[in-house]
Amino acid sequence: MAATTSLPPLAYPGLPLGSSTAYIPGPGTHLDAPTSTIHASLAGRPTLTPSIPNPKKPETSKPTISIRRLLPSPTHAPTIPSANVSNTNTLPRVGSVVLCRVVRVRTRQVDVVILAVAREDGEEEGEDVCGDEWQAVVRKEDVRATEKEKVVCGEGFRVGDVVRGVVISLGDQSNYYLSTARNELGVMMAKSEAGNTMVPISWKEFKDPVTGKRESRKVAKPF
Amino acid sequence: MTDRRRMNGPSGGTAPPFFASSLTSKTASPTQRTRAPDELRKIFLKTGLTPSASGSAYFELEPSTPTAASKSLASKAPALKLTCTVHGPRPLPRSAPFSPQLLLSTRIKFAPFAARYRRGYIPDAGERDLAAHLDTTLRGVLISERWPKSGVDVIITVLEGEEDDPWNKGHLNENERAGGWGMMSILAGCITVASAAIVDAGIDCIDLVTGGVAAIVRQPTAPLQVYLDPCPSDHEEIFAACMIGYLQTRDEITELWTKGDIKASTDGHGANSMGFEPLVDQAMEAAVAARLVLIEAIKESTGMKVQTSRIGHPKNAAS
Repeated sequence: MAATTSLPPLAYPGLPLGSSTAYIPGPGTHLDAPTSTIHASLAGRPTLTPSIPNPKKPETSKPTISIRRLLPSPTHAPTIPSANVSNTNTLPRVGSVVLCRVVRVRTRQVDVVILAVAREDGEEEGEDVCGDEWQAVVRKEDVRATEKEKVVCGEGFRVGDVVRGVVISLGDQSNYYLSTARNELGVMMAKSEAGNTMVPISWKEFKDPVTGKRESRKVAKPF
Repeated sequence: MTDRRRMNGPSGGTAPPFFASSLTSKTASPTQRTRAPDELRKIFLKTGLTPSASGSAYFELEPSTPTAASKSLASKAPALKLTCTVHGPRPLPRSAPFSPQLLLSTRIKFAPFAARYRRGYIPDAGERDLAAHLDTTLRGVLISERWPKSGVDVIITVLEGEEDDPWNKGHLNENERAGGWGMMSILAGCITVASAAIVDAGIDCIDLVTGGVAAIVRQPTAPLQVYLDPCPSDHEEIFAACMIGYLQTRDEITELWTKGDIKASTDGHGANSMGFEPLVDQAMEAAVAARLVLIEAIKESTGMKVQTSRIGHPKNAAS
């Protein structure tokens, strides 16, 4: 990244990074409107992301300045290379892909807790593990895209399943609202009644490799 | 009916031993300011010391006179030691209503051994008052709308907090008049350490906020003068003091606390440099000086974090 030479190697909150006429403020930065200057709002390494040139909107062809949030404290380095384990939470936003665990299945909704949030900045793949569990629900009509009226929550999820979902709303006072209405969303890992880890065999069934029993789930399409 | 469910202490309470001061005269005051009027006490600041917290920082002000210079352990000049932990952003309790922004809660607690006079375990009015001041200071700095539906707790423990004049308690007449000045230095330290811990936790801020104190002081051998970072035990009499929380990049003040009688100190002396605004300006100078330390501490810990995140992700090391 040759363009980052104009940026300081380390930024701290309040440090001016550039003018809004040349850059777009990204995550970790904020715009001071009176002076139209972009300031850092997190401590970290500022990076420039060149935009895809769009001749119709020259406004969007400016590069974006962003600062990635540094999660672990320097005292403990991440032990799992693909995930940052720390006591800090990454907040789920609308559109975030999250991993969660089913805690309760009701007739109209499935109660889950969010365990990890997928990174969105594109610089690194993987998930940020949440330090706390965030309450969320998958409502009956958000389980799948087709034949919504025939969905039965008990046939799509069981308590303990690990589910990949997408946040569709910040929801009410306690719950985020998730959706699994896509092929790649749904139950990723499930255990059978016998307690064995099952393998997916179709879009709506898991199979226990030991007993051979089949159980119905809203299965996430493996990558 | 007595409370049988908990382990209670003795009903009468215990009285810690209290030793009468052996100092007989005011001239035996253990400390005397040796710093220049615009010189601050040396600051130690380090972030990331509490692994279980999302963000943490430790702040220390050295005693105004070196311990080696004093004859006994008991006459040691007071230091200021603060530790701050930040927990969050974390989910709000189930009973809390929907909040589109970050909810801040601040707590300041003196350790029972923080000062010469022991404190209880339940925050008293003075501690709650300091926490309220800190709350308003930080509220103006956080970009709270970036963290919906979550709360953050800022908890400061004062491990050693300076008192006004700990070794001359026999002279109660002077102390009654000049009480409470030490709280301003403590609050200024709390603001700086909280700012460092919030940055360590990775919560969006518009700027770094630091605290600074200035006071109009009478010294035995000098005329009235404005001193930065006053230590109450160093000075014979403090007339007025000002504490601010200052954002240098934006040139904004999020907290202003003044105390004392500025007019009384200027009457009869005709000194024009003793007004309210010069006092605030001087407090700002002190805050700007503390900011230099804060920036260095943040740069140090951020540099380490960037390195560990690169080691953790080999893909990133190539770029």
